[in-house]
Amino acid sequence: MHIFSQLFQYEHPWSHVVIGMWRKYPNPKCTHVVSVDVIDRSVDPETGIIRTERILGCKQKAPRWVVKLFGGSEDAFVREVCFVDPATQDANITSVNLSLSQFATCYEVVRYTPAGPHRTNFSQTAEVQARTRLWQTAANGLEKWLVQRFEQNAQLGKTAFTDVLRALWEERHGHLQAAAA
Amino acid sequence: MASSLSPECTPLKTTYDTCFNAWFEGYLEPAVSKTPAERTAYSKEKADEFEQKCGKVWKDYKACVQNAMKASGLEGALQQARDEHSLAVPPKAESSGH
Repeated sequence: MHIFSQLFQYEHPWSHVVIGMWRKYPNPKCTHVVSVDVIDRSVDPETGIIRTERILGCKQKAPRWVVKLFGGSEDAFVREVCFVDPATQDANITSVNLSLSQFATCYEVVRYTPAGPHRTNFSQTAEVQARTRLWQTAANGLEKWLVQRFEQNAQLGKTAFTDVLRALWEERHGHLQAAAA
Repeated sequence: MASSLSPECTPLKTTYDTCFNAWFEGYLEPAVSKTPAERTAYSKEKADEFEQKCGKVWKDYKACVQNAMKASGLEGALQQARDEHSLAVPPKAESSGH
């Protein structure tokens, strides 16, 4: 099993990050995410917790041996379940791959929590695990490749979302200031 | 906004996302500042409002994307993922390490 994790802070309040979360894609820095669909969503009428289940479609160039051995294609799909709890100011996003999932799983958990009034903690952990003892060597290679892809995309995702948040909130503050002037 | 996995669903998806985003922005900040006593009434009111504002386009978009999932052969993998981790309730929050 391979584990990846990173911690980071966004220079935006929690509510701004969570509002921006739904506008992350499409993103010129994350061109591997080509589609995003909501397949289920509920607003709990008691707690106010919003649960959203999405399918993300990605295009990833897999090494030829991965495609040959596992029959993968360029199109890969991920299931993501996101909980936003305004009472505790916690956004929790869990993702797992649907493609190649018979061979290996990449289980990712992202959390956004407030770090004071103007900053937001971002934590991300991912566990990549091959499912079968057969093909152990190949599966280990697949794990390594998935971890590499994950690390590259994690870096891109961070800078990409930073851009989105800056553009979104600077533009709005600009409008507000213009309106106030 | 990102496309749908099926181009024919993208217009419905765009309308739905726009509806949700507008509702969510109105919802979130007041929701954060509610006291526990106020929360239930507010949540109920806003859940009803969301259904009233976005419920119809959601029904159409959901039907479209369900067909697209079927056509892409993703249903089996989705079912397996749901069986392994239903994620029906928020995962137990670990300390955020801060």
